Amino acid sequence: MASASPASSTSGASTGSTASTASTASIVSVAGLSVAYRSGGREVPVVHEVSLEVAPGRTVALVGESGSGKSTVAATLLGHLRHGSRITGGSVRVDGKDVFALSAQELRRLRGGTVAMIAQNAGHALTPSMRIGRQIEEAGGDVPVVDLLEQVRLPRPAELARRYPHELSGGQQQRVAIAMAIAARPKVLVLDEPTTGLDVVTQRSVLDLIGALRDELGLAAVLVSHDLGVVAHMADEVTVLRSGRVVEAAPTHRLFAAPEDPYTRRLLASVPRLDDTGLAIVGDAGQREVRPKVEVPADAPVAVSARDVTIDYGSSRAVHGVSFDVRRGEVLALVGESGSGKSTLAWTLAGLRTPSGGTMAHDAGDLARPAQKRPLSLRRKVQLVFQNADMSLNPRRAVGDTVRRPLRFFGTASSRTEAATRARQLIADVRLDPALADRLPAQLSGGQRQRIGIARALAGEPDVLIADEITTALDVSVQADVLRLLDDLRRERQLACLFISHDLAVVRGIADRVVVLRHGVVVEEGPTEAVFAAPGHPYTRQLMAAALEPDPDAPPLAEPGPDWADAAEPDDMWTDHGDGHRVRRWRAVA
Amino acid sequence: MFSFVARRVAAAFGTLVLSSVLVFLAVQALPGDVATQVLGKDATADAVAALREKLKLDQPAWERYADWIQGALHGDFGTSLVSGKAVGGEVALYLGNSAVIALVTILFAVTGSLLLGILAGLYRDRWPDHLISTVSLVGMSVPEFVVATVLVLCFSVALPMFPAVVLYGPEASVGQLLPAVWLPAAALAVVMAAYIVRMARTSVIDVMASEYVTTARLKGLSTWRVVTRHTLPSALLPTLHVIALNVAWLAGGVAVVENVFNYPGIGKLMLSSVQNRDLPVIQAIALISAVVYVVCNLAADLGAMALNPKLRTRGRTR
Amino acid sequence: MTTLESPAVPAPAPAGRVAAATRAWRTLRSSRAAAIGLVIVAVHLLIALLAPVLTSYDPIANNASQALLGPSWEHLAGTDQYGRDVLARVLYGGRYALGVSLAATLLTMALGTVVGCAAALRGGWFDDVLMRVLDAVLSVPSILTLLVIVTALGTGSGVIVFAIGVVCVPQVIRVVRGAALAVVPADYVTAARARGEGTWSILRREVLPNITDVVCVEAAMRASWVVLLISSLSFLGFGADPPTPDWGLMVAENRTAITVVPMASLAPIIALATLVVGLNLAADGLSKAWGVDRIREGS
Repeated sequence: MASASPASSTSGASTGSTASTASTASIVSVAGLSVAYRSGGREVPVVHEVSLEVAPGRTVALVGESGSGKSTVAATLLGHLRHGSRITGGSVRVDGKDVFALSAQELRRLRGGTVAMIAQNAGHALTPSMRIGRQIEEAGGDVPVVDLLEQVRLPRPAELARRYPHELSGGQQQRVAIAMAIAARPKVLVLDEPTTGLDVVTQRSVLDLIGALRDELGLAAVLVSHDLGVVAHMADEVTVLRSGRVVEAAPTHRLFAAPEDPYTRRLLASVPRLDDTGLAIVGDAGQREVRPKVEVPADAPVAVSARDVTIDYGSSRAVHGVSFDVRRGEVLALVGESGSGKSTLAWTLAGLRTPSGGTMAHDAGDLARPAQKRPLSLRRKVQLVFQNADMSLNPRRAVGDTVRRPLRFFGTASSRTEAATRARQLIADVRLDPALADRLPAQLSGGQRQRIGIARALAGEPDVLIADEITTALDVSVQADVLRLLDDLRRERQLACLFISHDLAVVRGIADRVVVLRHGVVVEEGPTEAVFAAPGHPYTRQLMAAALEPDPDAPPLAEPGPDWADAAEPDDMWTDHGDGHRVRRWRAVA
Repeated sequence: MFSFVARRVAAAFGTLVLSSVLVFLAVQALPGDVATQVLGKDATADAVAALREKLKLDQPAWERYADWIQGALHGDFGTSLVSGKAVGGEVALYLGNSAVIALVTILFAVTGSLLLGILAGLYRDRWPDHLISTVSLVGMSVPEFVVATVLVLCFSVALPMFPAVVLYGPEASVGQLLPAVWLPAAALAVVMAAYIVRMARTSVIDVMASEYVTTARLKGLSTWRVVTRHTLPSALLPTLHVIALNVAWLAGGVAVVENVFNYPGIGKLMLSSVQNRDLPVIQAIALISAVVYVVCNLAADLGAMALNPKLRTRGRTR
Repeated sequence: MTTLESPAVPAPAPAGRVAAATRAWRTLRSSRAAAIGLVIVAVHLLIALLAPVLTSYDPIANNASQALLGPSWEHLAGTDQYGRDVLARVLYGGRYALGVSLAATLLTMALGTVVGCAAALRGGWFDDVLMRVLDAVLSVPSILTLLVIVTALGTGSGVIVFAIGVVCVPQVIRVVRGAALAVVPADYVTAARARGEGTWSILRREVLPNITDVVCVEAAMRASWVVLLISSLSFLGFGADPPTPDWGLMVAENRTAITVVPMASLAPIIALATLVVGLNLAADGLSKAWGVDRIREGS
């Protein structure tokens, strides 16, 4: 945090008074706010002199990476501070009242009545032991619960009101949380990462709902998000935070078109775009250059060949007859929403589950067998990198030890000293300082941990690398670095890489070929460029249409397809578009 | 929901069967000949033979087990080797006396400890919490006989309010025993409450830190409502099991306390039958304690189901 | 805390054994409760070891002429009905309690940890059957189990250690299994499985280092339980044999004379209570400092 560069030209003090809102008084006015929390007997500042104005009916986004203090600032609008935090300067006024000067009684009236919050994870934000209807009811207001549920476009509201939160899907829970927030007809909505954790199609519909309600009820909104696509789509103005300081504040169009601060520029440039044809390389000043992909030679050997793989969880089938080949030096992306079976496939390839049907072949042996039954030579050739590096490294072992273990276990290093040298070399290979080998995982940053995860996978000298959502938990700038590392490694080592992701923009940048999965079934596959240029299946089109670009003026990549039904027959499954691009047969339904 | 209940009842039944086998094996398979064990080394060969006959030691173990369990199901636990009376009736008599203590203990310990635990949780890290936590730490650090002895010292010796020892036999009426119930019950309640207080405190703190309680606060609800409607139902869940375990613990816990007060309850019977090696009585007490344990845990499971809609509505579709 | 170039590393700290020691030291400095608790336990250990130096009285020598005396300069805590010096008996009394408790706790923890980890890691029928059997064992009151074992096998220290093991191992298994179950789904265990490592190696390298916290806290807590159980046993006359100085036994012997010489009962009570409070404080402090949910684990 010490290296955080101060805001350049734009100071945080002057914000909201843009041309369109100059005449109206702000409904939210944060002035010079500073917050600190006590940790180990000393005060750690988390927010420094942040100022913010929101006019009625306008939406202001607070943008930043993890640790930027954006959620802390948003929560102060409701007079809420985390346990152990306190205001060290400045003020927060909402609807003319100084929030932190209110009595307990007045604060309760402010919450819900004037300002309402929609939290990140509705699944955790709803009380599990209370029926939905009761929870909405007690939020106050005169609007009947059924009307509220209807207003958030939930089907059969009367029946739904009697349900418990766990009986709803994630998207439905978020809609209930929205209904709860607007129950007392507040004037300001605080949205704290309202769609993080939702699938892209659900995210889009929830955002559209929030936008519609905001306009209908004339609400002002403060949107906290790390996702620049969401921000571009929703906000009128954007305030960029970094390490608790305002870096830049500007109307949305201006910010995305001409970011002034180098940090904002780098941040914007790091976001992968749906129309990038390769990985973006971002310079220090935020200049952006797309690195073209390397051609995979036509004669590259096939490393893994899967045919008609089916995988069952007990009596339910997660993957239905999936086939694919991955060649050396090629990145094959498995794309799909949660429940599509993409991670199940990855884990099965890694030997952690046994398929119930089909074949998975590798030069060194049969991949349909679980890890314990695979020969050592095969185990080391197929390696998995996990989604969440925080969980995939043993917190009680130095990271060097974590890398050293497979070296010894697989016999790639014959002696202790050699293993130590090789481990340092591997750590250097993933572009980290070998001196970090003695650290514990908790002493590394998220990106560094993920690199160690990759180094551990490389220790067995694999030819197949399975990357299961490896950048999902990372901040966007770190994600760009890790993606680039992965791309470099597959070039240097001729790795066959199976890249599991839900993020279409990331896939477009790194993958050579794409397989789109839906409910365990392949609906479309083909070379990345062909699929993105002409998505053939309505589901692929729906995914692309729902994806949000970090650009308020970006046209959707694809129009949503028609309502459809599966029309594949056992002997006539595919519509072939040439060059390996094929689409599962479907028919439009009225 | 039905399948959940059925599974739990089946599991409880399985545990019970297993416990009865273990009890039987443990008591019967004590090293050496059981008859010699019971009568001591100096017993005459005739006496040993007679006892072997009486205990049917010549039959294979599984037959004896089947006989025993069949009798037990009809309330017939055999005859006491010491008094020669039917074990069932004798145990029932002592058990009834202990039940009076147990009821009083449970009533005070559970309600009191829940209140204190919730209070400590809500006033986390402030003086009510420090006071309650310290007292409960001491409460769980002191054995029952010490609490009992201290209580006697205070309330029988220094302030003669309650009798220090019971002078009645097992046939005494509830009215005769009642004055002697309070001190043993208090001793047990102190030890038992300590655990429940700590559990209730922890789980209240956990739930108060949850996102849904924060959301409820940010909805502008009153503290009372946040606590009663949003916090307690979830916070009581884990506490239920601790309560169940402690109630089951009473079955053994009374042994020490009843001996301090010479109270004619099941604990005293347990001790004397162990001293006299009265096997049928020991078996009966062990089996009844196992039933208490299993029933308490089953009750906690079913109680958890009532509090947790996730368990109640399982099987209903989305 | 991941920003573009910030390394997010507070200070380079050594890993491995040195780190573990540093961590333990930091824990003690940060948690006053743990420090006080461990100091109390240490003082008890010292007293038990140094008892012959601290008092010149023989704890088991009767002296009818000195019976039932109140506290005086000669006998700081008075004497009991046989004229034995109460202070000497209290000082020596820790030897039996601490010795037997220590042995029983070590045995219980070692066995419980290994079996608990194995159950969590293996799962399947082994786990199911084990849990059923443990439930059945726990359903019989521990004091009854103890009494039956002790009457059958005698009251030697070895028997008591064994009996405590029978009663406590199931509880430790449950706790350790619970803690290990939280570690087993972690991706680093999955990674080791995908590598094809054996059960024992996963247990030693991946699982055990991550549950040492729970095991330590459990050990402190179990020790307090064991001390209580053993003293209860002695109190009922099934533990230490009469002339042996033991706190539980002393309370039982002197309870009847409590109105005459209260110190003869109070002194062992104080000794016993401080030891157990010390163990509980240590358990509480450590669990708080390490973030172990002791009460839940321990239930």
